[in-house]
Amino acid sequence: MLVTNWMKKAVFSIYQGQSLGQAAELLVQHHIGTLPVIDLSGRLVGVITLADVLRVGMPDFIQLVDDFKFVHDFGAMERFIPDRSVLNHSVDEKMHEPKSVDEKATILHAAAVMQQSNLRDLPVTDSEGKLIGIVSHVDIGVALIRNWNFIG
Amino acid sequence: MHQAALIIAWLILFSTLALILSEKLPRSVAAMLGGFLMVAAGLIFGFYNEHEAVLSIDFNTLGLLLGMMILVALLETTGFFQFIAIKAAQMSRGKPVLLLFMLGGITSIVSMFLDNVTTVVLIAPVTILVSEIMGINPLPYLMAEAMLSNIGGVATLVGDPPNVLIASAAEFTFVDFLVHSLPIVIVVWFSVLGLIRWLFRKEMDISKETPEALQGLDPKQALKDRKGAGKVIVMISIAVLFFLLEDWIGITPAMIALGAATLAVIWVSPSFKEVLRHIEWEVLVFFTGLFICVGGVEAAGGFDILAGWIHGASSLPPSVFGLIILWLVALLSAFVDNVPITIAMVPIILSLESSGIPVQHLWWAVVFGAGFGGNGTVIGSTANVVVAGLSEKTRHPITPRLWSKRGFPAMVLSCLVASVLYLVLIDLMMGV
Repeated sequence: MLVTNWMKKAVFSIYQGQSLGQAAELLVQHHIGTLPVIDLSGRLVGVITLADVLRVGMPDFIQLVDDFKFVHDFGAMERFIPDRSVLNHSVDEKMHEPKSVDEKATILHAAAVMQQSNLRDLPVTDSEGKLIGIVSHVDIGVALIRNWNFIG
Repeated sequence: MHQAALIIAWLILFSTLALILSEKLPRSVAAMLGGFLMVAAGLIFGFYNEHEAVLSIDFNTLGLLLGMMILVALLETTGFFQFIAIKAAQMSRGKPVLLLFMLGGITSIVSMFLDNVTTVVLIAPVTILVSEIMGINPLPYLMAEAMLSNIGGVATLVGDPPNVLIASAAEFTFVDFLVHSLPIVIVVWFSVLGLIRWLFRKEMDISKETPEALQGLDPKQALKDRKGAGKVIVMISIAVLFFLLEDWIGITPAMIALGAATLAVIWVSPSFKEVLRHIEWEVLVFFTGLFICVGGVEAAGGFDILAGWIHGASSLPPSVFGLIILWLVALLSAFVDNVPITIAMVPIILSLESSGIPVQHLWWAVVFGAGFGGNGTVIGSTANVVVAGLSEKTRHPITPRLWSKRGFPAMVLSCLVASVLYLVLIDLMMGV
């Protein structure tokens, strides 16, 4: 079964060079977690996620200590609101190398890519690398389990 | 032939140091290359061979470093460092100056016995955490920890690699360091703490802090392996006790550290593979390569020539000669790793000694220069590099420029204070 059967074709994306603030706006407006970044020709060049945007408001220490069970009060961080100026940075600075699959990929292949890289959403591209859709791990996972035929 | 050997040996040593400085290769690989080329050149030109190369490796230094690394590796995973950092922060009740004093104080005390880099790598994240929940800027505390860790390390034989090297070459004991170095370190420590307080007065005087959040930290929960930590602390204490009695029982610090490490490994019984993974092999390889490289120059007679030149300076009063060495080593250490500098200084001073010049005060000059000089720039010591690296992952990165602006004055002050005390205590330093 091909991944194209399960992907959303109306995919929200952002252009290279747009700001982190604009990315945040799209994520909030459409209530989504992943935003593919494309160039002017529509080719996928990166991915920016809700977590990337959230990071500017998260405590820094969560990246530095592997365990913070001993912190029972986040104190000043509870009221911390990131400086507006950080949202003026270009998405290019925070985006990741895109992990994607080709339109000819099967759903098992797509699920395997997501499982290995711990992704929630996976962009789908055509043979020229242009963004044509996106699948979520829930869509693909549910489709795969259905295929096993032991659920009604 | 003799001339050619001399020139080639010096050329290889200088190229190796330049390669280390250029960071084109990892420093340990550069040192390995230097060691290999030196032995190869020695075999071709007949001034050095494999056997002499092995003899030039100072196993006393390597053994002591390895033993202490194993003890630190055992302690690292227990959460002990996080525990004491949280305790120290809570005892300050969030008062900025007291927080600086407490965090700087425990970092220095731990650095007197354990590796500086491990100490700051484990205390700095807790410092960032504490600053964030209090809503204060972590920069003054982070820079203070790196600098005071370097300063604390100067106080004891096991505190810093240059001290280990010098103790091994000059046959200084643990007690010698406590008598000659510790008092100076204490005065320097308070001077630098005061200077940091003043340099960071803007960052430290802010009103939007929430010190009550500190009470929401539970140090006991951070101490993941209380029993393990206790056992390692006991073994480190026993090792320190033996260091103190070295004169009396006559066993080398390397033997004591390796013995304590072995017994601690058996007692704590962790996964030994995991312990070995925490050993900084890179450092041990770096030392070995440098020992072999410098040994070649020594075998070619390179240091006798240099000492001959320096001999002219020995007509100077000993205190002036000592101060020149202290500042020279300090300025070099601000830009270059202090380990190769010390390894190169050792044979020079030994040559001076064999030509009949009193050198004991020169050893101490190297200890202070190498120890305090590293604070001058961000690349001056590994602790600085590591703390700056951690800070880059946060909202308050320490830039090389910022480091030089605040660190260089601290280095100059340390060396000034050390110089004054050195002059006052010159008889003690000379062992008269």
